[in-house]
Amino acid sequence: MLISDIKSRPVYERLSLDGAGRRHLVLSDAPRPLGEVIDGTDGADAPLGYWIVAATSAVDAQPQAEAAPGNAAPVEWRAFRAASHLLDRLSHRLAQETVGLRLYAIGEEGFIWDVARMAREAGLEPSECFTAHAGSLRRKVFCVHCKTVTSGVTTSIAVCEGCGAHLVVRDHFSRMHAAFMGVQADAEAPGELPPVEEVFP
Amino acid sequence: MTARPRTMPLRVAAAIPLSPTLKAFTLIPADGGLVPPSGPGAHLRLNLPVPGRMLKNAYSLISNPADRSHLAIIVRRVAGSKGGSAFLHEEVEDGDVIEAGLPANLFPVVRTARRHLMVSGGIGLTPFLAYIAAFEAAGTPWELHHFCRPDERGVFEGLLARYPAARVHLHCDVDLGVLDEALLRQPLGTHFYTCGPALLMDTVMERAAALGWPRARLHSESFGGAAEGGEPFIAVLRRSGLEVAVGADTSLLAAIEAAGVEAPCLCRGGACGQCLIEVAEGIPEHRDHFLDGEERASNRLIMTCVSRSRTARLVLDL
Amino acid sequence: MTIQFKPDETFRDEFRYANSDAAVLRFPFPFPEDAYMYSVNIEPHVPGGATPAFDNPFDVDEHYVAECRERARVLEQDPSRCKVLPHMMAAQWDTLELIMESLATSYPAHFTLTREGISWTWENRPLGIRDSFTFGDASTLPLPPFEYITRQAQGDFTLQDQRDDNLFIDAGMVTTQADWSLDFDVGMSFHQWHGPVPLAHQKGVFDRALKFLLRLQYGAPVRRLNWTMTVNPRLDTSPENYPQWGPDRTTLTAENIGQKLHLRVELQSLFRLPRSNAILFGIRCYLCSIEDLARVELWGKRLHRVLRDLHPEIADYKGTTRFREMAVAYLAPFDDGADLPVGTAPRQDTLPPTALPLGR
Repeated sequence: MLISDIKSRPVYERLSLDGAGRRHLVLSDAPRPLGEVIDGTDGADAPLGYWIVAATSAVDAQPQAEAAPGNAAPVEWRAFRAASHLLDRLSHRLAQETVGLRLYAIGEEGFIWDVARMAREAGLEPSECFTAHAGSLRRKVFCVHCKTVTSGVTTSIAVCEGCGAHLVVRDHFSRMHAAFMGVQADAEAPGELPPVEEVFP
Repeated sequence: MTARPRTMPLRVAAAIPLSPTLKAFTLIPADGGLVPPSGPGAHLRLNLPVPGRMLKNAYSLISNPADRSHLAIIVRRVAGSKGGSAFLHEEVEDGDVIEAGLPANLFPVVRTARRHLMVSGGIGLTPFLAYIAAFEAAGTPWELHHFCRPDERGVFEGLLARYPAARVHLHCDVDLGVLDEALLRQPLGTHFYTCGPALLMDTVMERAAALGWPRARLHSESFGGAAEGGEPFIAVLRRSGLEVAVGADTSLLAAIEAAGVEAPCLCRGGACGQCLIEVAEGIPEHRDHFLDGEERASNRLIMTCVSRSRTARLVLDL
Repeated sequence: MTIQFKPDETFRDEFRYANSDAAVLRFPFPFPEDAYMYSVNIEPHVPGGATPAFDNPFDVDEHYVAECRERARVLEQDPSRCKVLPHMMAAQWDTLELIMESLATSYPAHFTLTREGISWTWENRPLGIRDSFTFGDASTLPLPPFEYITRQAQGDFTLQDQRDDNLFIDAGMVTTQADWSLDFDVGMSFHQWHGPVPLAHQKGVFDRALKFLLRLQYGAPVRRLNWTMTVNPRLDTSPENYPQWGPDRTTLTAENIGQKLHLRVELQSLFRLPRSNAILFGIRCYLCSIEDLARVELWGKRLHRVLRDLHPEIADYKGTTRFREMAVAYLAPFDDGADLPVGTAPRQDTLPPTALPLGR
């Protein structure tokens, strides 16, 4: 049984610049035009960074100043080789930051909740860190029996990479684990499995 | 649904004037033993028998929360007060016994914070004395900016003398601009607390918000002040079968208490929601900070400590 | 009062567990009326209630020693059943103090707390524990304070940190749970960790409960009852071990259901903690077979009606789908359909050897 309407499941809205912030940093797990991922950057005069994952070793994350139309301050633009590359740079940035920063992350759930966890660990409040979903709906699933996280799950039932159990992917989401909960589907009657459906394309 | 909070007798072990308007009280259990545990930011509600009525005033605890041998408060004598501070300054002496509620906390520290920035004005320093004792014990970084009148600088310097000078900033001018520098350099994970006159708190909170501090990082404490009186009305206590006249300068809660009816309450300042009573008839004039828009509009609930009535009669389920 | 403990009881494998007649009569039966629906059924946690289970802040009964042993066994297999986030140290000491003070006051024959300033000595005679330590200095205890004391208490515990007008489940000792995982839920907000509960969100139950709990006062604890059903007297019905206990649900037959199916009641208590301003949530679990429950006439009849008329979504959430009809059929002969008084007190002082069928 797939339980929907669970209140722990994140609900996403389109990103919009928080005018109360003094510095803004927007993170995307794929190259996307800035105006496509967030509203309100046109008239903003607070410093704004836009970091993207280019998914190629050909980039070097060197900051580039990009004139943004209408902006008083240019956008500091950086391209990273992979999400891990971006997160590593982010951890250094957050360690230097002061209160007043607003962080925005857009992409697949795995990426945006990794960012949110890093932000929380750096001392950001939930009201200073905004997330929006883009791209595949595939999920990370935490196996409640063996504690292994299986990534890239697109189906209603997934095989746990740790213990091999067939897991029902529930809508119960932990921001701490950045994963959905997986519970063995055939625990009561071993071998009795519901049909597998592609539900998180 | 509300259990009646217990009270305890406390004996005044010492009443020491700090200045013409400030007096410190050390309180110990009247029947021996330890005082109840409390946390930084907690307050104590004292039952003060002034002529003709019982006042229940709340005072921030300044004692070190880890030390259960005594509780301590500082009381400022307020000109034209409801009588509580005058009573404590003039009538209460060493050895007197005062009935008090259990410590309650409406101004707790944020446990997930990595650093604490405090701004106080005058007697608003009191909760931060307990905060600082706790921060020092835990080794958590903190910074205090205290605003006071020049003639009281010495008193506050004395209260803060034992702490590292680099963390304590005393200001005797009214220029709050000195705070901007502090607000701009706080690392992520800092929380901001303010206590003092309403004007000071409002101003510094606005300032912090303008410098990018979100609401979740800003915390303030105030006692009372909201119930300033208004048109007199009649409160009908349906279950008690009583009609209570609420005068122009008494609160509904005080009038109910004066009639001998036990009513739930805690903060007496419109914040905690403990004194909520159902309204059967009449239209409340809401002055609290607790009910949401829908609850206000329903006219079915009232917080007796601060709110009043728009109608001549207000029928309560009490 | 001296309690006769039953240290050889087990809650797994051969299930050596039984309630004495006195234990059945003190069971905190949760249904005051014939129909059940979620509500904010909170009342002051003061001594006194329908049975003696409500007489103390933390109830200790004949299963105490065996339950503490079962907890140790679960923790040996899965230490993450006890989790405490780093900012909860003050709440850990609050918990230790509250439980020690309460047990020593409620059961002086079994527990003693001696204090000399911050030098404390704790004696737990049923478990053979005697430790001297410095209050506030975790290095002087053999375990962190929260784990130390909750290993010596019946039932699960969680600690809720209060911030940003919300409660966060930032610590817990959870080994006797009704199918929820602390390891997965730790750090969640009030609405998040209640996420999987059906219907109650829409009814606004959690909004009202949260608003109430945010203003819970020190010295004025509250309690409520919750319930589910468990096959076999198994305390550890965790999601972690679902593959171990899930198959139990398919073992019920019309012949064994009376003994095997247990009503599982949680006496939940909530205490505002004075130093940390956190809330301690106690989830004390009681198990009683439906065969034993039916020996109390009022309870047998009422349980029959509640199960028969249960909302399907709640029946499903509580995991009763596979056996509800069978349980209703088992209980039906004990219910003559007569009107029942509102309330849960057993209204009898002794139990018949077996429940008596009542003709309709």
